[in-house]
Amino acid sequence: MAQEHCVIIGNGPAANAAAFTLRENDSDVRITVIGEECDHQYRPDLLPDYIAGTVAEEDLFIGRSEPYKQCDIKLRLGQRVVNVDFQSRELVLEHNEMIRFTGLIIACGAKPRIPEPLEVFEDLMLTLKTPADARDWIDRLAHVDDVLIVGGDLTSLSLTRALLHLGKRVTFLINGGSFWPVPFSSELRDEVARRLIERGIEVTECSKIRRMVKVSDHAVEVRTDCRTMTVGILGAFFGLVPNVKFLARSGLDIERGVLVDEYLKTSVDNVYAAGDCAQVYHPGIHDYWVSIGYANAVELGKTAALNLLGDMVPVNVERESILKIDGINVNTSWWTEF
Amino acid sequence: MNETHHHPSKTGTQERVVVKDVSYSTDPADFAYMSLNVPCQSACPAYTNIPAYIRALYEGEYGTSYELNRMVNVLPGVLGRICSRPCEEVCRHGEPELGKPVNICHIKRAASDFKTAGHIYLEKFFAPQGKRVCIVGAGPAGLAAAHDLTTIGIEVTLLEAFDEPGGMLRYGIPEFRLPREILNAEIGSIVRLGVTMETGVRVGSDVSVEDLLNRYDAVLMAAGCYVAKELEIPGDTLSGVIPGLDFVMDVTTGGTPEIGKNVLVIGAGFTAFDCARMALRLGADDVAICIRATEEELRVTQDEILEAKREGVQIKGLMASRRVVGRDNVEGVEFLRTRLGDRLPNGKRKIVPIEGSQFILPADSVLTAIGQGAEPIVSPGEKDRRGVLKGDPMTFLTSVPNLYVTGDFMTGPSTVIESIAGGRRAAERIAEDLTGKKFREWAVRIEEAQVTDRQREWDYIPRSEMPTVLPVQDRFKTGNIEVEKGFSPERSHIESQRCYLCYLHYEIDISRCIYCRYCIDVAPRDCIKLVNEVVTDENGAVTGFVETTSWEDVNAVVIDNSRCIRCGECLRVCPTDCISVSKVELVERMLQTGRD
Repeated sequence: MAQEHCVIIGNGPAANAAAFTLRENDSDVRITVIGEECDHQYRPDLLPDYIAGTVAEEDLFIGRSEPYKQCDIKLRLGQRVVNVDFQSRELVLEHNEMIRFTGLIIACGAKPRIPEPLEVFEDLMLTLKTPADARDWIDRLAHVDDVLIVGGDLTSLSLTRALLHLGKRVTFLINGGSFWPVPFSSELRDEVARRLIERGIEVTECSKIRRMVKVSDHAVEVRTDCRTMTVGILGAFFGLVPNVKFLARSGLDIERGVLVDEYLKTSVDNVYAAGDCAQVYHPGIHDYWVSIGYANAVELGKTAALNLLGDMVPVNVERESILKIDGINVNTSWWTEF
Repeated sequence: MNETHHHPSKTGTQERVVVKDVSYSTDPADFAYMSLNVPCQSACPAYTNIPAYIRALYEGEYGTSYELNRMVNVLPGVLGRICSRPCEEVCRHGEPELGKPVNICHIKRAASDFKTAGHIYLEKFFAPQGKRVCIVGAGPAGLAAAHDLTTIGIEVTLLEAFDEPGGMLRYGIPEFRLPREILNAEIGSIVRLGVTMETGVRVGSDVSVEDLLNRYDAVLMAAGCYVAKELEIPGDTLSGVIPGLDFVMDVTTGGTPEIGKNVLVIGAGFTAFDCARMALRLGADDVAICIRATEEELRVTQDEILEAKREGVQIKGLMASRRVVGRDNVEGVEFLRTRLGDRLPNGKRKIVPIEGSQFILPADSVLTAIGQGAEPIVSPGEKDRRGVLKGDPMTFLTSVPNLYVTGDFMTGPSTVIESIAGGRRAAERIAEDLTGKKFREWAVRIEEAQVTDRQREWDYIPRSEMPTVLPVQDRFKTGNIEVEKGFSPERSHIESQRCYLCYLHYEIDISRCIYCRYCIDVAPRDCIKLVNEVVTDENGAVTGFVETTSWEDVNAVVIDNSRCIRCGECLRVCPTDCISVSKVELVERMLQTGRD
């Protein structure tokens, strides 16, 4: 009988927790981790500090090659999965290589969300999710003094602090009904605005961004329903969305993320999903949710691995954590706003 | 190989006549081959010859490309904009490691857009048959039937209840998706064949079906589906709850219905999307389409989803409406969360409501677009439980002699291309019943061919997406700006290069094969196989191969055309020229003078 081959799509905390949990509990199974980015596992929370120059690039990274070698885990970085055929149990990489699997854990994470009406302007906006994104910010910041932050989420608050540290002028354009990952209540809106203004950030509100025009390599004109401004960099911070587009039409049940049951099992046998690409129903909030945060991701990765090996460990949907970002308490361990 | 003969002409000079080796087959095994190996043409309800029209466009023959569509799907300019594209779902280019399907639909539109204004389309007519048929309904099914019956030589009168012909194309699809000048031109090209068109005639009230049966040799009911299904939940009669189809028809007839700022659309089809996009154009601020399943399960095209979202429409999945909330006017809708259940025989997912998961979404307008049915027109004949005339799906005949049904009126809501195909099949059946003759026949046309100039690098050209009016605010200047701008000639040419031309059939002549395996070495995927046995069904159609890795068990080297991407590499390296190419197409032949 052929050796079992468990493939893990993703190289974040959920994926790596899953890989090492698999190895801890099964010394024979062949394990392959496929990461889309070229970088080893990193700490996204340090990216603003890296941009500010207060954290060195090497300190961003958690994972290195050695632990994978020690645990006989094949790590393939910079390789993007573009398709999965669940019937033949094969996945296809961007360079058309096909990899067969017997078990699969999808932990491909989330990516910055750009609202569809603004997608046409995507090339004019910077996001911040990966070290590569951070390098873009560093390169561009060398040439500009003004930065406009659009939307609003936890990362954007940390970034504004970094930008002020670098002496940049920052305008914050609060746009939309949510301050990801939570709905934007008037109290939260006031609290965020007050703290930003206290730091010397100009805060403005609008309901619609009408148009963005590239004026030069270092200037973008932004027209909203209430004003027009020209800035050096435009940062888009509308939260995250599960990075599951490659699974469209694959036959796997997906909605915003990969739909899983309380055991993180997908609609296909021996295929599990974990981390912030998995979407599960939460009876407490009468809604589907996607987890947020490093600790949740690690726990879900472990759970998916154990269940793939035959356990029946339910995910703890009732757990609620309080994130404290820039002095603002956010009572959530999930997001439902897309 | 083509043969060239030199014949003396009447003037004594030599004429060069190319005689191609062409054969036609009606062998079920050949139809089965087409179904498996040319998936796009087989998936089209009208069997449009997709590889041929894409190839014609690639060669710059826009008129020919248009005609290849027109001869079977009747309304290419319309379908190039609003077809549901079952062909693209099965396009070989969309297989897992091969990228994305060819943008077949928009190439069709390019053929329509760029054929010259002076393009001459030669319609083939049979001699007059001395029969008269009345068609009720000038929608896609009725128009297609009128076209076919007229060209067969049967006199057609087309009765339309509305002021203008087109049916759902005109009254159920907004102008920003289907400009009316395109629709008018293509309807005109059918009516000018000699169809007598009478609009504003409501059959059942203005004229009875019995009257029509007395005046004509046959009557075909193709009256479409115009009765919107009701939500049938508490509160669905509150002010502000509007049937989506009524809303769309109001707008398409020039009305500007009042709509709230916060709109929920309940439904998952094209009508739901049209409602949502129209609501935005009428001034709504927040519009969400609420669906019971997921975006993945939607039957509308990906382009439709993308453009709706770009315009600001939200799609909210996994929720089923339970009651409409409000006192006099709608204030919101209560939903239950749902789970996806098993797949049902109709291909849809069973929806499982989650008990205790209720929640309310606020709204000041609710548009319901959960389906529609046929109007129970007064007529003789056996009816269904709603009072709608029933017909046999194979013969289109009702329980009343000479009274036929087709299109959505018979099947319930379907796609435009399905309606057109249904209208054509009904026409063929009526003509055969009235005259005792068969006029057209589907056959597999097989022609010797050469390897084409397709280059391997074309396989890596990314799919071209349809350019649209952007930014989205520019779409809202008036309500009828066509959103899709169409490919440029250059873009359509590039997209046409992506087509593998699956109508080419590659075959190894095993009697000349020396088993060198060069072809296998250059094959880009597992399309050439060492086989012990070829598996066939009772018709002789190839259904599979018993492959072997043991050299002594190999009985043949075969090309699996269902895996082949027609790159031609095998043919180029073959040292014995034992690989041949032929062109196989499903074609509709006119049977000269009619066959008894």
